[in-house]
Amino acid sequence: MVPLTHYLALGAILFLIGAAGVLMRRNAIMILLSIELMLNSVNITFVGFARQWADLTGQVFAIFVIAVAACEAAVGLAILISLNRDRQMMNVDEINLLKW
Amino acid sequence: MPREYVPILTLLALAGGFGLLTLAATFLFGKRRPTARKAAAYECGIIPQTSARGRFSVKFFLVAILFIVFDVETIFLYPWAVAFRDLGLYGFVVMLPFMGLLAASLVYEWKRGALEWD
Amino acid sequence: MELAFFYLFAAGIVGASLLMVTRANVIHAALLLVLAFLFMAGLFVLAGAEFLAGVQILIYAGGIMVLYLFSIMLMNVGVAVRLRQWHRQSVLALAAAVLLGAEVWAVLGRGGYPGAKAWGWGLGQTPGNVEALGEVLYTKFLFPFEVASILLLAAMIGAIVLAKREITR
Repeated sequence: MVPLTHYLALGAILFLIGAAGVLMRRNAIMILLSIELMLNSVNITFVGFARQWADLTGQVFAIFVIAVAACEAAVGLAILISLNRDRQMMNVDEINLLKW
Repeated sequence: MPREYVPILTLLALAGGFGLLTLAATFLFGKRRPTARKAAAYECGIIPQTSARGRFSVKFFLVAILFIVFDVETIFLYPWAVAFRDLGLYGFVVMLPFMGLLAASLVYEWKRGALEWD
Repeated sequence: MELAFFYLFAAGIVGASLLMVTRANVIHAALLLVLAFLFMAGLFVLAGAEFLAGVQILIYAGGIMVLYLFSIMLMNVGVAVRLRQWHRQSVLALAAAVLLGAEVWAVLGRGGYPGAKAWGWGLGQTPGNVEALGEVLYTKFLFPFEVASILLLAAMIGAIVLAKREITR
């Protein structure tokens, strides 16, 4: 049986890769993709805990995370599309209309 | 190690091996005489009109959103259907508001005209 | 044997996601993320979550990433490749990520997760993974399940309102 720490370490590594991607990239789609990676790292942690304690709660919550990720992708991409259509913007540091 | 997955692994190895072998064999032994027509992108026999790198219409995105919503609905329906015999009438009643709200989203998209192609 | 497969899948996931965050072309990044999701489905099977493995492929690889690819095709990818890829705060952000990593490492190093229980593999067991999941999902987690449908409705309306203006104009 794979020890729980392995799942946790894998989840943590993926979360860090995703967080670095969110903070360092300029392209808005790359940021959304990195967020998807972070959500999946959380899923791996959930599944690892579910396996450790033979409890299905972790798997149920992973399903909810996936449903939330679908909503997040739909709304986030719609925002990007309307930004891209109206102002031809795709990089997050150009989107500064609310800045004074 | 669960033994149930050994057939799947075997199938994976066989299918992957067959694909790689075929590609390698045609790469090694096939003759190559490319012409302009042969080198063009294969679009099921239809001659390509423009580059595929152009921008697509937002209509595809709306269809994809509809697909995502009902994809997630399927995911929630599948364990429900498997466990339905144990859940019984309770399971039926529990599913009604979920289905009702998703039907409402379909009605909204319909009324908004997102399903019309032009 | 199980550990060997775990390392194989883990290496696949980490490799694909490292390549993913460094690509300049978003389409390459999205396809690499699909690869990472497929490895993740293998990992879920290994952890006894067969249904989640299927969901991972159906929803993530088949649904969400298709949505991403559609919206990438709505925008101009060719221009974006030639632009500067990294944010000006990159160095600071990398330092913060490394710090977070050290913190996680310190917490994980303390170890101590007691009470590992034997986990039956879903196949050939009664009830199987999907059935057991269904029984928990619609009784114990009924409220989050109903809220999920409201969330889906809200997300769909929001996405249509944001994206549809072009057609009505």
